[in-house]
Amino acid sequence: METDSMESSTRSSQNDEVHHNGGTFHFSSTKSHSSAAASPTVVTNIVGPTATSVYELLECPVCTCSMYPPIHQCHNGHTLCSTCKVRVHNRCPTCRQELGDIRCLALEKVAESLELPCKFYNLGCPEIFPYYSKLKHESLCNFRPYGCPYAGSECGVVGDIPFLVSHLRDDHKVDMHAGSTFNHRYVKSNPREVENATWMLTVFQCFGQYFCLHFEAFQLGMGPVYMAFLRFMGDEEEARSYSYSLEVGGSGRKLTWEGTPRSIRDSHRKVRDSNDGLIIQRNMALFFSGGDRKELKLRVTGKIWKEQHSPDSGLFMPNLSS
Amino acid sequence: MEPPINDLQIECQVNELLDFPCSIDHHTREVITDKEKPYNCPYCGSKCTVTGDIQCLLEHLRNDHHVEMHDGRCFSHRYVHHNPKHYHHATRMLTLLDCYGRQFCLHFEAFHLKKTPMYIAFMQFMGDEEEATSFSYTLEVNGNGRKMTWQGVPRSIRDSHKTVRDSQDGLIITRKLALFFSADNTNSKQLKLKISGRVWREH
Repeated sequence: METDSMESSTRSSQNDEVHHNGGTFHFSSTKSHSSAAASPTVVTNIVGPTATSVYELLECPVCTCSMYPPIHQCHNGHTLCSTCKVRVHNRCPTCRQELGDIRCLALEKVAESLELPCKFYNLGCPEIFPYYSKLKHESLCNFRPYGCPYAGSECGVVGDIPFLVSHLRDDHKVDMHAGSTFNHRYVKSNPREVENATWMLTVFQCFGQYFCLHFEAFQLGMGPVYMAFLRFMGDEEEARSYSYSLEVGGSGRKLTWEGTPRSIRDSHRKVRDSNDGLIIQRNMALFFSGGDRKELKLRVTGKIWKEQHSPDSGLFMPNLSS
Repeated sequence: MEPPINDLQIECQVNELLDFPCSIDHHTREVITDKEKPYNCPYCGSKCTVTGDIQCLLEHLRNDHHVEMHDGRCFSHRYVHHNPKHYHHATRMLTLLDCYGRQFCLHFEAFHLKKTPMYIAFMQFMGDEEEATSFSYTLEVNGNGRKMTWQGVPRSIRDSHKTVRDSQDGLIITRKLALFFSADNTNSKQLKLKISGRVWREH
């Protein structure tokens, strides 16, 4: 069998072994071919403009999401994803004929050799992925835009950091502070009302970066608590170059928390539920408030500084959200 | 058969903590010195009804409750609990600290606060409240790039252990956070909490 020599980048597909031999690809399937005499199939990876048209064929006509196995088709060959198939009551949405249970295996297999750039290529991501691993990468891609860090509402705004800072300031009316130290007093005249979480967010600009200081009242299993924590407007790796401390006190007592800011890639809820911050029960907070201890007047001081944690410092981040 | 809860131990020692049933329930040694009212035994566990002055209680704690006494103003203990899931009732640990010519009780306890498993550590002063307020202490727990520090005033042992615990007047953390501090590369959910601290005299 003649082999073509093609210049293409090597990408081993997940399920099968790909043999690179001077620019050609010998695609040996480990799944089929019981006959030893079967000649090896020669396949080239689909890239470039062809890839785009094949990619469009893999878009479900109903929900427009990318289709994943099992991909279905009707008697006339119109394709449908498995999620939508359940919802169309056995009628093809394209031609209205009866659907049946035909699987479009050929399309599934073609998808295997499809290679596409990450959808955030215009934001700087240089990587190319096989169809079946593209989605997973995109959910973790470092170039993907950030979600609005405002807590308490499901704000769906996305963008880069400077955009989000303006968005927080202009749309959410968040306080902005320049500097790396703070001294806030949280006042609430009826601290009994901690039924629903109440949030407070301040943005700090220092070291050329932006940090979100969250202060929150909510119900933990042990009753009403207040929690304060810092998030970094950027990725986790860069967040690790910083440290912060928070302190509350009064009447000869003081509680100090020192930690690493979490990236805003971790949702507000995730950080809150991992208890990764300064947590005080309401009683203690009222005690620190002084006076008749019926009003919350909690003074929280803190600072942010640059501190590189070395990889050998034994830093191990278990899954705190469990 | 579940292993006993009482595997809470200080790592540097090999002896196991047993919830010591005080065999001297009905034996009260009352030695009234000067005008001092006798103190209650500060051993955490209301079963012990021994009373006496400080010296008697120290002997009692050492001999009957097998409490360790450490010299010095600074300390560092590692609390190890192999099965933190077996959390059904409180597990407690008491150590004595001897400094400034006085004695302090360092309590460490696992308990539930409205169904949430928690740990608390606090100090009590073996003496009266007036003198207790002349001291301060810190307790610090750290791990995985995080550190929590509590600074407080030791409560007098006139206040029962339960009173102090329920007022949360100490270093208090959720079990979730304690396990996070304990985490290492072995991925075991074992409690290995290092608590260090010191006592000092304010005035």
